[in-house]
Amino acid sequence: VVRWQLSPPQRPLQASAVLRRVSDEHKKEPLASSSQQQFDSHPADHQPGQEPQGPDPSYTGQGSQESEDYESEEQLQHRILTAALEFVPEHGWTAEAIAEGAKALGLSAAAAGMFQSDGSQLILHFLSQCNTKLSELLEQEQKLVQQGEAEKKPIDQFLRDAVEARLRMVIPYLERWPQALSILLMPHNIPSSLSLLSSMIDDILHYAGDQSTDINWYTRRAVLTGIYNTTELVMMQDSSPDFEDTWRFLENRIADAMKMGDTANQVQSTGEAIVQGLMGAAVTIKNLTGLNQRR
Amino acid sequence: KAVIDRIIRVDHAGEFGANRIYAGQMAVLGRSSAGPVIQQMWNQEKDHLKKFNELMVAYRVRPTILLPFWNVAGFVLGAGSALLGKKGAMACTVAVEESISDHYNSQIRTLVEGDPEKYKELLQIIKQFRDDEREHHDIGLEHDAEAAPAYSVLKTAIQLGCKAAIFLSERI
Repeated sequence: VVRWQLSPPQRPLQASAVLRRVSDEHKKEPLASSSQQQFDSHPADHQPGQEPQGPDPSYTGQGSQESEDYESEEQLQHRILTAALEFVPEHGWTAEAIAEGAKALGLSAAAAGMFQSDGSQLILHFLSQCNTKLSELLEQEQKLVQQGEAEKKPIDQFLRDAVEARLRMVIPYLERWPQALSILLMPHNIPSSLSLLSSMIDDILHYAGDQSTDINWYTRRAVLTGIYNTTELVMMQDSSPDFEDTWRFLENRIADAMKMGDTANQVQSTGEAIVQGLMGAAVTIKNLTGLNQRR
Repeated sequence: KAVIDRIIRVDHAGEFGANRIYAGQMAVLGRSSAGPVIQQMWNQEKDHLKKFNELMVAYRVRPTILLPFWNVAGFVLGAGSALLGKKGAMACTVAVEESISDHYNSQIRTLVEGDPEKYKELLQIIKQFRDDEREHHDIGLEHDAEAAPAYSVLKTAIQLGCKAAIFLSERI
């Protein structure tokens, strides 16, 4: 027990120094990684508060110094950032929030030094979590439809629901969201934020059943990205009950997009009709003037 | 994953381009004696393209943004080579099919060196298509491709274009 009280401040350093090689192998499976290393399931993500305190079954105290925590640096960062989200409404997307998150896990506030000082990593972590949640939600919906337990939604409703679900995840942090967006716009963050945005839009369209393999692949994603971004901006200025103005805006934009597809077809068929009309007129004139006759 | 992405993207672009090349050739030579031969090769390319469309959706690969460009360029190449006559069209076929077979071969090598078990189905498809393209190449030779005007210049130029197209489609 005494050892436990000494180790928390060292943990961030230990994690970096000793376990860098582990971090690549055990990115997403904290439970699996621990079990590979002789310990019982290490409650990495689920009980952040418990770890340094009680007689945790994974740490029977008989292991040697190196086997104390087999958590990779990346998993540790993940846990700290997740814990820090709770403090965002109060402190914003800042190093303070991260420090508070570290403290809530029983780690030293100096752990915040692992991260960039402008809070970008916290925001990107949040975005990535939201996208993962959205993917899981869409995957589950798809399963229900495949098992026949749910109706397949018409595409405009599907898109509307997916965008709404994703935007609702931002609501708890809405007051601080403008700050987040402006940080995301900084040049060094743009590649990451763009990549997260595009993979989210790709996910939505994939589950919506998009099977385009031509230029439509690009136009559809561009249109949906535009709808998402503008709806997000509207949401930030919306003060209606439960954001009903925002959802109505979303519905209208999606309806516009659907119509645009139809309009393109209409323009094309109108163009074809006009050409045919002209050809018909030319042939008629030729007939009238007798040019068509072979004398 | 990135490797598979590139493979499917470039193969899809290639089959799409090949389709357009044969379409261009048919537009000029459709009613000539070479019509049926070209039509048959075109039909096989259509099947190839259909397969890659399916693979693209299954592996969630982004199509190359240059598709509209290959659409036009392929047709122009096909029609242009066909305007040089039947032998010109056959020369174009030989050049393109040789490039494509070599390209499929190097992809097969990459997959085999990587993880042949995991990508068994993809490997099988590419091998089959490689054999088909090889057959097209031989048909082109049988139909006097080598007697085409400026055969070696034509072949070199077309193969250079194919290399550039492959390079770009893998990335963009």
